[in-house]
Amino acid sequence: MDKTKKILTKILLYFVEIFVIVVSIFPILWVIASSFKTNGEILSSPLALPSSISFEPYIHLFQEYNFPVYFLNSLLAAGISTFVSLLFYAMGGYVIAKFRFPGRGLLFALFTVTLLVPGHSRTQPIFSLITQLNLYDSIWGVTVVYLSAGMAMSIFVLKAGFMAIPASLDEAAGLEGCGFFRTFWSINLPLAKSALSTAGILMFLGNWNEYYFASLLTVSDTQRTLPIALAFFTSEFSYNYTSLFAALTVVVLPGIILYAFAQEQVQASVVSSGVKG
Amino acid sequence: MKAPKSSPRVKASKMERANYKWIYLFLLPTVLIFLMFYFVPIIQVFLTSFTKWDGFNAPEFNGLTNYINMFTNSGFTYALKNLFYWCLAGMFLHVGFGVLTAFVLYQKPRGWKFTRMVFMIPNVISAAAWAMIYRFFFSDDMGILNSFIRLIDPNFHVQWFYTSPWAFWAVTFTWLFYAVIVTLLVLGDLMNIPQELNEAAKIDGASGWQLVRHIQLPLCRSAIGTSVICTLTSRISMYEQISLTTQGGPGDDTMSLSILLVKGITDYRYGYANAIGVLMFVIGLIILGIVNKAFRMDVSDY
Repeated sequence: MDKTKKILTKILLYFVEIFVIVVSIFPILWVIASSFKTNGEILSSPLALPSSISFEPYIHLFQEYNFPVYFLNSLLAAGISTFVSLLFYAMGGYVIAKFRFPGRGLLFALFTVTLLVPGHSRTQPIFSLITQLNLYDSIWGVTVVYLSAGMAMSIFVLKAGFMAIPASLDEAAGLEGCGFFRTFWSINLPLAKSALSTAGILMFLGNWNEYYFASLLTVSDTQRTLPIALAFFTSEFSYNYTSLFAALTVVVLPGIILYAFAQEQVQASVVSSGVKG
Repeated sequence: MKAPKSSPRVKASKMERANYKWIYLFLLPTVLIFLMFYFVPIIQVFLTSFTKWDGFNAPEFNGLTNYINMFTNSGFTYALKNLFYWCLAGMFLHVGFGVLTAFVLYQKPRGWKFTRMVFMIPNVISAAAWAMIYRFFFSDDMGILNSFIRLIDPNFHVQWFYTSPWAFWAVTFTWLFYAVIVTLLVLGDLMNIPQELNEAAKIDGASGWQLVRHIQLPLCRSAIGTSVICTLTSRISMYEQISLTTQGGPGDDTMSLSILLVKGITDYRYGYANAIGVLMFVIGLIILGIVNKAFRMDVSDY
């Protein structure tokens, strides 16, 4: 009795594990494998592995279409917005963590409560704001909107990071003649590396993958980010399956690679972004 | 989070006041972003939801007209109904699956770290790309699902995303099993359970199942509550999975609030779009309140 129970439990455990693994990576492996097949192979034998490996579709993608531009747009929008907002939120998180001043509690509450606002409900005002700034249909408009993404999570993570740095270090720095800015920049910022990378990676991933605002704020081909380009690509070239799958692979792989290098931070950041809720 | 204790009688030291200039300078960028992208937009959304506004002319007050129009629009009724079903599926199936996976991984079977690692992959990918992967996955001519089914029944043809009632389920499947956030949150709480507690329960004769049911499950209550909130709020703002697959169709089978909101903006019915925005906001707050109460999330266990 006990033994059958144990075996049943084992079976259940492995069944769940295998199910999780299959639903998580099978669709992606299928997309990658299909990008190496010909149109005919995709239609006639969707389950088979490609008969030969050729990077032709990828070269084609980057030479014939604007994919280098889309890639650069995505990198610029996600990279610059993450870098700038990380600096801003680090400054904010730092003073909230380390100093007493009027309005501290209120500001912290306001910054973190932004998490509860569904992003889409602010669509029209943001749309109008970007139009007024003359940044409609520009990758810079998208970049500006991304500055505001991840505010609550970053302030939360960074404040905790700075609080973990002992105050005695700041005092020592003060005695050595470090000013306010030097104490922040040369002492605290390097020590908060892990909080910075946690917040930074989550913001970068979010912005790199963002679709909603990018689709509303851009129209021209040269201003598109990768996810937007992908959506147009699939509707315009729906007959060329090989290219479609290659394009999907190009959009999907950078996120996976970043994750492969920073698994710990990504998992930690996802958890911390949930905890705030 | 508690506000720092700064009793008014204790005056800030001279040093601290000398720093005020720097402190507020450091806060300035964050405050500006907060005002530009959160505070002013939210006020604007609330105020203009009571107006007729096309974005060019000045908004005209029209009372509750937008809200009345909203509730008499059939697409909106479908969107609300779908949101309700998606919330149910999210709460029970999505969170349930995430919790089950967390308990499985907590037993540390072979390969549990690998499973935890790959479970995250769908979450680091653009939701837009994921929606498209599923569009191909469920496509009739080249989709892999139908190819599998045709191994058994060669004449099988269903356009999952374009026929009722399958479209609703096809959209649901794009997110239903991807519950890694739930799993990580619950697993975190499980790992925090003091080992002595598990041992003590075992000595008292608790079976494995009783241990799960009476000790471990109640102790990750707040992680489950957080998961439910996360899941439900992403149901409210689900967009890519619909916009890039069914666009709300067939008919209004997969209509959602965010699709209607975007339609309002592209039709220059800003007041109407913002009324939908207000509704999203309010639904979010209601969910937060209910879940907080239901899971007694403000009560600590240890």
